[in-house]
Amino acid sequence: MEPIQEYEDETSLELPTEPMRLNMGPAHPAMHGTVRMILDLDGETVQNVDVQPGYLHRGFEKSCERGTWAQVYPYVDRLNYVSPMLNNVGFSLAVEKLLGVEVPERCQIYRVILGELARITDHLTCNGAMAMELGAFTPFLWCIKVRDWIWDILEQETGARMTHSFGRIGGMALPPTDKLKESVRNILPQIDKVLGETEATLVRNRIFIDRLQNVGVLPKDVAISMGVTGPMLRASGIDYDVRKAHPYSGYDTYDFEIPIGHDGDTYDRFMVRMEEVRQSCRILEQAVERMPDEGPINIDDPRIILPPKEAVYSTIEATIAHFKIVMEGIKPPVGAVYSYTEGGNGELGYYIVSDGSGTPYRVRCRPPCFINLKAVEDMIRSNMIADIVPIFGSVNMIGGECDR
Amino acid sequence: MPTFKLDGREIPFEPGDTIIRAAWRQGIEIPHYCWHPGLTIAANCRMCLVEIKAERPVMMPTLKWDAQKNEYVPADKPKLTPSCQAPAVAGQEVFSKSSEALNAQAHVQEFLLLNHPVDCPICDQAGECKLQDYWLTSQGTSKRKLTEPVHKPKAVRFGPTIVYDGERCVMCTRCIRFCDEVTHDHVLDMRERGNKNEITLSPGRELDHKYTLMTEHVCPVGALTSRDFRFKARVWFLRAAKSVCNGCATGCNDYLDYDPRQNRVYRIRPRDNEAVNKFWMCDDGMLTYHGVHEARITHGSVRNGQPEAVAAAQAVTLAAAALARVPAAKVGLVLSAQHASEDNLVLARFGSDVLGSDKFYMGALGGWEGDDILRNADNNPNRKGALAAVGGNARSLTELLADIKSGAIDALLVLGGPTAEDAATLAPLRSLKAVVTLASNVTALTQVASIVVPVASFAEMEGTFVNAQGMAQRFDRAIRPPEGVRPAWATLVELAKAMAKPLALTHIAEVRGALPASTKPASAHGSHEEARA
Repeated sequence: MEPIQEYEDETSLELPTEPMRLNMGPAHPAMHGTVRMILDLDGETVQNVDVQPGYLHRGFEKSCERGTWAQVYPYVDRLNYVSPMLNNVGFSLAVEKLLGVEVPERCQIYRVILGELARITDHLTCNGAMAMELGAFTPFLWCIKVRDWIWDILEQETGARMTHSFGRIGGMALPPTDKLKESVRNILPQIDKVLGETEATLVRNRIFIDRLQNVGVLPKDVAISMGVTGPMLRASGIDYDVRKAHPYSGYDTYDFEIPIGHDGDTYDRFMVRMEEVRQSCRILEQAVERMPDEGPINIDDPRIILPPKEAVYSTIEATIAHFKIVMEGIKPPVGAVYSYTEGGNGELGYYIVSDGSGTPYRVRCRPPCFINLKAVEDMIRSNMIADIVPIFGSVNMIGGECDR
Repeated sequence: MPTFKLDGREIPFEPGDTIIRAAWRQGIEIPHYCWHPGLTIAANCRMCLVEIKAERPVMMPTLKWDAQKNEYVPADKPKLTPSCQAPAVAGQEVFSKSSEALNAQAHVQEFLLLNHPVDCPICDQAGECKLQDYWLTSQGTSKRKLTEPVHKPKAVRFGPTIVYDGERCVMCTRCIRFCDEVTHDHVLDMRERGNKNEITLSPGRELDHKYTLMTEHVCPVGALTSRDFRFKARVWFLRAAKSVCNGCATGCNDYLDYDPRQNRVYRIRPRDNEAVNKFWMCDDGMLTYHGVHEARITHGSVRNGQPEAVAAAQAVTLAAAALARVPAAKVGLVLSAQHASEDNLVLARFGSDVLGSDKFYMGALGGWEGDDILRNADNNPNRKGALAAVGGNARSLTELLADIKSGAIDALLVLGGPTAEDAATLAPLRSLKAVVTLASNVTALTQVASIVVPVASFAEMEGTFVNAQGMAQRFDRAIRPPEGVRPAWATLVELAKAMAKPLALTHIAEVRGALPASTKPASAHGSHEEARA
């Protein structure tokens, strides 16, 4: 920051012609998470902007290098804390790729269900918050109401509403509850109803449209050159979705569409997210239909999966298995993999390196938000200061991911 | 050198080698319990069974589970050979990972765990137990037997150092063979048969020879545990530093297992070295780590009538002043056969370069009961290294007492390791103008000192010991010394600086470079290593 300039002679004071430098954040209601923007303003027009994340001081990647592989889960929970289940699943898939194992079909479907539920909460939180920041408080409450319904399901399945730590290498912590299918089937029509209400309130609203359309345009070529992924990229008109482009967990067997925008403006980003929620609901419908009620959730390998607790207390074999996994950790073979999934905001990648021991040698994360955030500077530049709020809101930056 | 093939890999071997030994030399472990490279072959655990390719293999009738018929059906399988017993033959092909061999390993492992108690959470072996390791690598399933396990005696006192647990025992007889073959004392044997057998003591005997802790060390499971280490620490929290035993002049190679969180040494276990101790150590050697923590001196003290505690750095300043007050030529220097060569060398340089005194004496323990296995009659780890530092001429403490009587000595600068002489014998030292003792623990020499400066013990510094064979061996630092405390050699460098006559040696590399050529370690064995196995 530059020091405040003092004018030597007040009699010669004129309107300053050089840009005004202004701090927005790091503690500002519209700066989701904790991020700081240094703005150079010409009147109310933003001439230049410098976006600076990194105020959480987490060092999550380094922290991963001291526990076992399984102990990474609580850290990935807190990357994108709006959709922690997607991070859990992404990390599980990465380590499973390194181990060369694939979870049973029932578990894959379970992961799809939990993941899509998390995606709905992520998108609705983003759109709801953006509407609220533009003054539309009611749709925000509606969206958060849906989020709460979904959190009820996630709580029923995992025991926690937000940071579930529910993924496991080679499976999930627990099998699905008996009520899962019923709960999901019950809320799907209700979600649809809320989506309709929200759209009815917002997308025919002149003020809302004026605030969004042709604001914060991200052209296709810029989006690609910046490495932008997720709803932001799709709003710019490119149909890249990891679930379709590089299917995992059986996503290629589900019938769903990838919505794309054409202008790449804030309005498109809003609408792409709304439509993706509908597509997620479609996936959920198919998934609950095809998920078997019986069958294993975890792979059958004592080197990877903990034995049942009753057996640990009563047989020496299970005690040893438990001991080996807890004290020494699961030992993936020496090597490195890059594994990537569609997170809430784009391609969530893990580049993990194993030295053959029970502790990760390196857990490098490609957080979608961090990369998307860099494109924000281009989107904000030459817009008005008041437009920063919806533009930044439509990026859905999550601070937890952006702390390297 | 002739070779054979093990799982497709060429393994060279020396004539007389068995398959398992040749593989062991190459760093390949064929699963085993009863075989030990330092003991004779028992071939009783059957864990190391391998398949050897033959023109006309011996086939054995067996039953195999047929999942489709849901019953056992007759089948053939090749006869397997224990690789610990089978001699390596040039050109033969051995398979330790063929399906038949893996099957045999899994079933032997299942048998060994059949009656094993659920003891891992309270067993000291957990974390370095072969039953755990091989369950994961060779079995990975639960047992098929569902009846009550066989019960045997637990926590049987075998002697002052060892406790036996019959239920954990796999009857590999390593402990019996160790006592028979290394200590030539048939104190252990096996009694009963089948799943009732257990290790027992000879009638009227206790396990009380000088190498009892080795029986615990060779035990591949938690059947024998050391009373010294029992329930003290969990091994996965311990880190190991490569060290050399300071118990006697043999200089057995060992690991100091310490807990970095508590900064405390928990045990000593032997480190294989064919040229010195092979695989073994004696009980007294393995218990020397107690000396690191007992009566530890953590701060300096000055005696003006009563000893008075001062900070380590202040003790150095006071020592410099005290030594400056007496004629330099009348200052005697006491080397220590208990201290590292580095400490003794810098003390020798201190005498020649700072004081100009050549009155060198040697403090040392007076010897113990030696034997022809490992124990050397001289229970000082570094007498040769200390003597080499002063060119081989140092007088005894008895002669020092005579010199004090004759008035040739006014003050002393002392490496205060343990000595044969007790504080009462050394009482005349109290009459001197100054006795500056550098010591890590309370000894007779610190009790008669006027100024005590705390220094690092052998576990808290890296250094060199020269054993009775004249082999210089490097040892590593395990734990951190107390706050403000440094090795004796570094403290002497500080002392010289405080006396305004700095020594030329200031760094460990320079001190090492100045060691007499005959007492330099042939090669550094590398620094800290995290070793648990």
